Amino acid sequence: MKYDTDLIFANALPNAPMSMPKQRLERRHTMMATLRTMLAVLPWL
Amino acid sequence: MTGAFLTRSVALGAAAVLSLLGGYVFLGFASTGGISPLDVLRTALVVLSGFWLVWGGAAGIIGLFVRHRASSFDAQQLPRGLTAILVPIYNEDPLVTFARVAAMNRSLRTLGIESRFHIAILSDTTALEVAAMEAVWFQQLLAEPESAGRIFYRRREQNIGKKAGNIEDFVTSSGGAYDYMLILDADSLMEGATIGEMARRMDADPDLGLLQTLPKIINARSFFGRSMQFSSAYLSPAFSRGASVLQGNEGPYWGHNAIVRVSAFAANCGLPVLSGKPPYGGHILSHDYVEAALLARGGWKVHLDPHLGGSFEEGPENLVEYAKRDRRWCQGNLQHRRLMFAPGLRLWSRFIFLQGIMAYLASPLWLVLMGVSILAAMLPEPAARPASELFIDGVWSLAAGVALLLVLPKLLILIRGVFDRENRRFGGTLRAGSSVLMEIIFSTLLAPILLMLQSRAVMQVLLGLDGGWPATKRAENHLDLRDSFANSWWIMLIGAVTMLATLVFAPKIALWVAPAMLPAVFAPVLISVSSRVAAGKKAPWFFLTASEQAPSPVIAEHRTIMAAWSTQGALEPIIMVEARRVVEQVNA
Repeated sequence: MKYDTDLIFANALPNAPMSMPKQRLERRHTMMATLRTMLAVLPWL
Repeated sequence: MTGAFLTRSVALGAAAVLSLLGGYVFLGFASTGGISPLDVLRTALVVLSGFWLVWGGAAGIIGLFVRHRASSFDAQQLPRGLTAILVPIYNEDPLVTFARVAAMNRSLRTLGIESRFHIAILSDTTALEVAAMEAVWFQQLLAEPESAGRIFYRRREQNIGKKAGNIEDFVTSSGGAYDYMLILDADSLMEGATIGEMARRMDADPDLGLLQTLPKIINARSFFGRSMQFSSAYLSPAFSRGASVLQGNEGPYWGHNAIVRVSAFAANCGLPVLSGKPPYGGHILSHDYVEAALLARGGWKVHLDPHLGGSFEEGPENLVEYAKRDRRWCQGNLQHRRLMFAPGLRLWSRFIFLQGIMAYLASPLWLVLMGVSILAAMLPEPAARPASELFIDGVWSLAAGVALLLVLPKLLILIRGVFDRENRRFGGTLRAGSSVLMEIIFSTLLAPILLMLQSRAVMQVLLGLDGGWPATKRAENHLDLRDSFANSWWIMLIGAVTMLATLVFAPKIALWVAPAMLPAVFAPVLISVSSRVAAGKKAPWFFLTASEQAPSPVIAEHRTIMAAWSTQGALEPIIMVEARRVVEQVNA
């Protein structure tokens, strides 16, 4: 049970759901990871 | 080119030039025997710390020149949009909190605009006894006129995501019914006129995503609490007006006493859980800064308006409680280093994250500067050319400049108060002036203690220690000497050892070290004495504020309700029986 809805005083809030998409705040690749990937393709390294 | 951009450029340029100049003077003084690595390090620290010092002072100076703006709306005009007033609570005293809700509701009713405002108490309370009392006092709240269908209460069984998660839960379940949300804290109190004005401002500007007020501290009783109360009422408005000009459409959000457009918030402010473990990973702690940055990233205006009065909160009553809150904020701000390079953020939002980080890193930097300076003075001096008179004079000017930078904005605020008659609201110019002087002395004495507390907080976070998110005890007042000593013995020890070591090994800089270390030696006494509540009913001479002289109507209403509800002491046994019944119901 998410809320205490069984309680006698419960007074329902409006049922009006909204979507709240999670934002992307972290870069998928760090600068170091990108650099490593770039260097990895060089055959002489 | 916007006004904010120009002001930012000038302020940033001034901070850069003055701090570099300070560094040049310092280097000239310090490097009499040639430039050593220690001199370079010290100079770099002077430049870095000086930059943030000038930057902080600049906001206060700019704020002095901003004129007061009056409301252009009729206070009784009904806003078009429907607003949900959100009161997130977490184990707070329900009597005091619910009385605040009743006071705000009555304030809205007085203006006849209550129909456009619903109130939702969003409880994350974990203590079942407190939850049960919330249920009982909510019934009392429902006895208020016009409350049916307008005032709601719900409690989450798990406080996932803390306050940000609580708000998100509301948006995802009920947000679609509202145009705006006025987000409060448990200790927030706002005038109905201010709430109405904020909703009408949102109506008038469809691009405005968030409007933040400047909450002023009220109900402080201890010397420490009243000094903060005075500072928030008398000094902060000028600094906030400056910050408002500097930040423009990318203003701050402080997490409460602010109205936000629900659709903008829902679309842009869903906060992810950061990868990794706390303190850097997990839930975002200082979510408000991040939400402001995300709204700006989404193209919404985020405004701070310090001219909006009637916005109040309560503050910690002693330095120990203040430090606990500061520890949380420190961890939250340092966590922002993970977000500084988040994709798509405005450059200014990134700068604000950096500013928040530096607000805490500055303390250990000042300590390192002092430590390195003592070390440099202890090392044998090379056969050196004497420092030129220019640089000896210069370093004294530098010290005077730093002192002036900290004091000047406060003195200018006092002078402005003479002309715009603001001083009258604080007991007249003589009394306001005495309070400003006392605030300068008191904050100077506390500065080294705060420096050490913040440095410890930074070290704890850097070492990966999670401080959690304990609630601030706002009503805790006096700390006796034993409690103060238990909390600050280490500050006293560091202060005493540093002072002694300087006197023995580097006496020539003892004069420079003493102002920073002597107050640290007396930390337990300072903490204990400043937590005392003045005896008697009359307000003490220092730190008188406008809200103490003539409380705002909503403050007076809150006190009236508290008095009325508290005299229901005879009902206490009935309330406790009801509370126990509710606890049993929950446990079942």
